[in-house]
Parts: sequence; C-alpha cells; structure tokens
Amino acid sequence: MIEQLAVYLFAGLVVAGGLMAAFMRQVLHAIIGLGISLLGLSGLFLYLGSPFVAAMQLLIYIGGITVAIVFAMMLSLSMALRPPQSQPRKFALAIVGAAIFFAAMATVIRGVEFSQLAQQAPAAAWQVEQLGHLLLNAYNLVFETLSLVLLLAIVGAILIARRERPVP
Amino acid sequence: MENDLTQILDNPWLALAAAVAGIMGYLTINAMMLIWLERKLSARIQRRLGPTEHGPFGLLQSVADMGKLLSKELLTPDHVHKPLYLLAPVLVFAPVIALCSLFPLSETWIFHDFDIAVVLLLSISGLTIIGIFLAGWGSNNKYALLGAVRSVAQNISYEIPLILSVIPIVLMTGSMSLYQISLAQVSFPFIVVQPLAALIFLIAATAETNRAPFDIPEAESELIAGFHTEYSGMRFALFFFAEYSNMIIVCALATVLFLGGWRGPFLPGWMWFLLKVYALIMLMMWFRWTFPRLRFDQLMSFAWIVLVPLAILNLLVTIVVIKLV
Repeated sequence: MIEQLAVYLFAGLVVAGGLMAAFMRQVLHAIIGLGISLLGLSGLFLYLGSPFVAAMQLLIYIGGITVAIVFAMMLSLSMALRPPQSQPRKFALAIVGAAIFFAAMATVIRGVEFSQLAQQAPAAAWQVEQLGHLLLNAYNLVFETLSLVLLLAIVGAILIARRERPVP
Repeated sequence: MENDLTQILDNPWLALAAAVAGIMGYLTINAMMLIWLERKLSARIQRRLGPTEHGPFGLLQSVADMGKLLSKELLTPDHVHKPLYLLAPVLVFAPVIALCSLFPLSETWIFHDFDIAVVLLLSISGLTIIGIFLAGWGSNNKYALLGAVRSVAQNISYEIPLILSVIPIVLMTGSMSLYQISLAQVSFPFIVVQPLAALIFLIAATAETNRAPFDIPEAESELIAGFHTEYSGMRFALFFFAEYSNMIIVCALATVLFLGGWRGPFLPGWMWFLLKVYALIMLMMWFRWTFPRLRFDQLMSFAWIVLVPLAILNLLVTIVVIKLV
C-alpha cells in the first residue's frame, strides 16, 4: 500500500518536474523542474531495489549535472536577460522532436520481454560489486563512449562560452 | 516501562519518527552549544572573555539567543521570489537529518549498515548547494546572488578533491560501508598510511562547509551576509543550524575514514567517536580564527592547481601500492 503510494508519488514528481522543465519561461525555474524530475527518478530506482543506482542518480544528476547547469547559467548572460517569448514554430518543432523520441523509446520498451529478464537476473545483479564488474567488463565500450560524450559536451560548452566574450 | 518503549519501537513508522526526533533534538542542542563554543574559543584566541552573563561560563547565552530567534516575527521582504525564498532554508537543512543516520557510533550502535554509505553521504550532501543557490537567487538581492554564485563555484571545485581523497580509503578497505571501514582500522587508523588524503579531506571539508578561511560566500566585509542576507528569525537560524550540523557531518566522516571511528582504549566506543568528532570541530574553529580569508581567485586556483593534482597523485600511488602489496 505505502509502496504503491510511493511509486505514484515519485512518478508524479518525474512528470511534474518534466512539465516544469518544458514549460517554465524562466530558465532557473526550468532547471528546478529538471532537478525535481531527476529526484523522482532516483526514488523510482530506490523502489526498483537498487539504492546504489539511486544514490548515483542523486550524486551525478542532481549534485553534478543540475548544479553544473546552474553554474553555467551564472557564468553566461541568460540569467540577467528577460525570458524569451514563446515562438509557435519552435514549439511545434519541439513537439515533433519529443514525439519522435517518445515513439522510439516506446518501441524499444515494448520490444523488451520483461518477464524473461526478471527470471534471468538474480537479485544480486544490482549489487555494487556486480555493477562494477559489468560496467568495466561487459559494458566497457558503452561506459567509455558515454564519458567521451561528456567530454564532448564540456569542450562544446567551453567553445560556446568563449564566443560570448570578446577576446581581450 | 522499558518493555513498553521497545514495543513502541517495533512499529517501523514510530521507530522512524523517534529516530528523526532524536536526530533533530541532538542537532539543535549541538548547534546551540557549538555556537557557544565558537564564541568562547574565538574570544580566548583574541584575549577576550566571550559570553559570561547567562549561566555558568555563559552557557545559557545560546539558549537566550534561541528564544530571541524563535520569538522574532518572520519577515518576508516584498522583492523576493517567494516560493524559492521559502523553500531554500528547508532544502539546506533537510539533507543533514538523513546524513546523521548513517554513522556507526560504536560497534553495536548502528542505525543501519548501508553498503553504499559513502556514496549516499557524498550524494545527499551535494543537495545543499541547490538550497544555497535558491536562497541567493530567490532573495533577489545582488549581495545574496554574489554569495550564492561564489558558494556554488567553491562547492563544485572542492567536491572533487574531497571525493578523490575518499576513494583511496574505499580502495584500501574494498568497501563503501562506514561500518566496514571502521572495522578495517583494527591495528592502526588510516591517517597513518594516508596522511596526504587526510589533509586534503580536511581542507576540502572546511571549504565544503563554507567556513573560514574559505567563508567567501558570506564574507561579511564584502557581501554583508552572502546568500542569507535577506533572511531573519528562524529562517536565518536554519542556515546557521545547517552550517554547524554540516560541520558535525564532515568531522564524523573524517573520524570514520581516517581516525578509526569508535576505536580507542578505556572509554566506550560512542564516547571515543564523539571525542574525535568534537576535537576535529575545535580544530576547524581554530582554523577560522587563525587564517585570514582567501581571495576568490586564490581559492579557486588552490583547489584546481594544488589540491586536485595532489589528490590524483595520491590516488595513483595508492593504487600502485595496493597492486604491489
């Protein structure tokens, strides 16, 4: 009963935060929405039985990514400016993009045989040791590729931030 | 009588409520007494007397201050962004309560032995930064915003050496449970083999708790009071509580990681644990009244140019030594 309530609460946080992130005009409010959404996600991981992934979600996405976005906001001009007006064309494009992403994710998720997966994976699969071995052995390539993506994002952010200021 | 008490605690919700109440009561009294201690210590260091009027040695001074803060009207300035302004003090203080439940006070006094306690500690304490930033932004005041900007920059920078100085310990014990780490220090505390990590941890922890010489977010002489400029009454007190409670958290973590937790001769374990924690806290207070405040660029370059490379070097050496031994 209480677990069910908790799941709905966390799912509600994810959806509400996502809506905030998408529709708030002030950038900072959108970031807070993102933070709430990620917090809800961390709660869902907790419910799914992996405190480690939940803690990592908190550490990386809220303590790291959200704070980094806030930090980047402070260094750029966008906090001081008035929030831009909503443009119908951009809005439509965003909806198309979100719809394509949603369709792709829905196809992938529908294709998964969850009942079989649940039988294959023992409860030990979520333990820290197992996760570490899997990340550095079986999924090493994915892991490294992800860090490459992060590196690209950092380099890109530096490039964009440098262009804002004239070179002295 | 005692039987009734244990029966009440069988109910998980009541036990949880009791734990939260216990932790909050402890944190409140602890913060009050630490404020008194800090005033006394600073006075002695500066050859003053400090509070003397209320109670023996001025011990009741903080109680009087508490009464004043509690009875003050809660002012909300007109120009603030209300939801953020009201949310911020709660967000700064709330993580601390969760963190307190993680520490093993002695071999048998454990709330719950999480196998990922170190990760939990680092991740939950990271939430405080968001509260500080919301306070600065929601206050809609240039000093508050400047304080918040500095605080976020400082916290991000010093979190990296902090985590890098914890990893060697985790590598050495092969566990992220605070209980297992304490158990591993049977023959010697880890400060003996990891003095550099302990030093980096202490410096980074002082910076993470925004204390002098790293108290640039609230440098009185430049920024009035930094991110909590617009707060008064109990809301201001919550920020203060959070600061002193965070000191407890980082000192307790340092005790577990480097000083052997509850280990020590003669006295019971919890007493040794608290003794070590409060000794570290007094060391941090001693820092505050000894070192002058750093300039902001000095602070950032110290983190990135000195601490991070040193911490990485220490980590690499640890890995090599562990592989060889």
